[in-house]
Amino acid sequence: MLARSYLDFKARLDEQGAVLTYCGSVSETVLVALGETLKQKMAELETDAAVVKRVFSIFIEQVQNVIRYSGERVAADADAVGLGAGLIMVGVEDTRYFIVCGNFVRHERVEPLKARLDHLATLDKEAIRQFYREKLREPPEEGSLGATIGLIEIARRSSRPIEYDFAPRDAETSFFCLKAYA
Amino acid sequence: MSPLTPNVAIPPTQRSPRVDFDFQNGRFLISGESYPEDAARFFGPLLQAVEDHVAGTPDGSLVFDLALAYFNSSTAKALMNLFDLLERAAGRGVPVVVNWHFAPEDDAMREFGEDFSEDIHTCVFNLCADRDG
Repeated sequence: MLARSYLDFKARLDEQGAVLTYCGSVSETVLVALGETLKQKMAELETDAAVVKRVFSIFIEQVQNVIRYSGERVAADADAVGLGAGLIMVGVEDTRYFIVCGNFVRHERVEPLKARLDHLATLDKEAIRQFYREKLREPPEEGSLGATIGLIEIARRSSRPIEYDFAPRDAETSFFCLKAYA
Repeated sequence: MSPLTPNVAIPPTQRSPRVDFDFQNGRFLISGESYPEDAARFFGPLLQAVEDHVAGTPDGSLVFDLALAYFNSSTAKALMNLFDLLERAAGRGVPVVVNWHFAPEDDAMREFGEDFSEDIHTCVFNLCADRDG
């Protein structure tokens, strides 16, 4: 039963094309370890160098967002770079790499985050590049730790429009998912 | 001249770049990959050291060689701050040259170089497609 049950679980991940999946507490140490593993895996799959770079850029920005903004952070101190919690999946879908991250966010963060993502979705590649330049020159928005630039970087490296969604969980939090394609 | 500025030599790690700042000779190198845990903490003291150095109106020119293979968005912010302070120094008459090195096939690093160069008017900014992939 044990093996059967986890085999089914693994099969469902395989169906999604998962190359690497992580769920749970995410620290900066986890980020480095997963990043290195991902690079090795892509080398093994003889992935094109430009694609490797895009996957890696998106992966780093996504995971750093989970560490910094996850609503399940262990460190309550807003300045501390600590431990977040979330779901990270890198996979291949029709020969194209995708990177999905999911984490809980407090309800009050949903609208501002959605507004930023909706705005990004209206921009073409050149506009995204200009927006990145613009944001780089501005002081970070309050309480953002620079998240806007991170999201712009993800959109900039993504070869398709980024996908995102929110699913309410309880009175305080929603599950936020962001998917980008390298 | 600020003869008291000690040189900086930080070896690279998996996630942070090699940093070699030779204040006496005005040569500054940052190379490798950069996605430190806390970019502000990593780059803050380095930028402060450069700021202090240029405040002493150093003799000769300052040459910055930036040869990064990858950097995250927080590092981009730190680089912007570095260029801002170099622009201010250049505006006060300190000659500054920035060499932005990238691999010829690396479009992302080329674009970053082009984008930074658009905000640099007083320093000399060279795009150098001479880095090994």
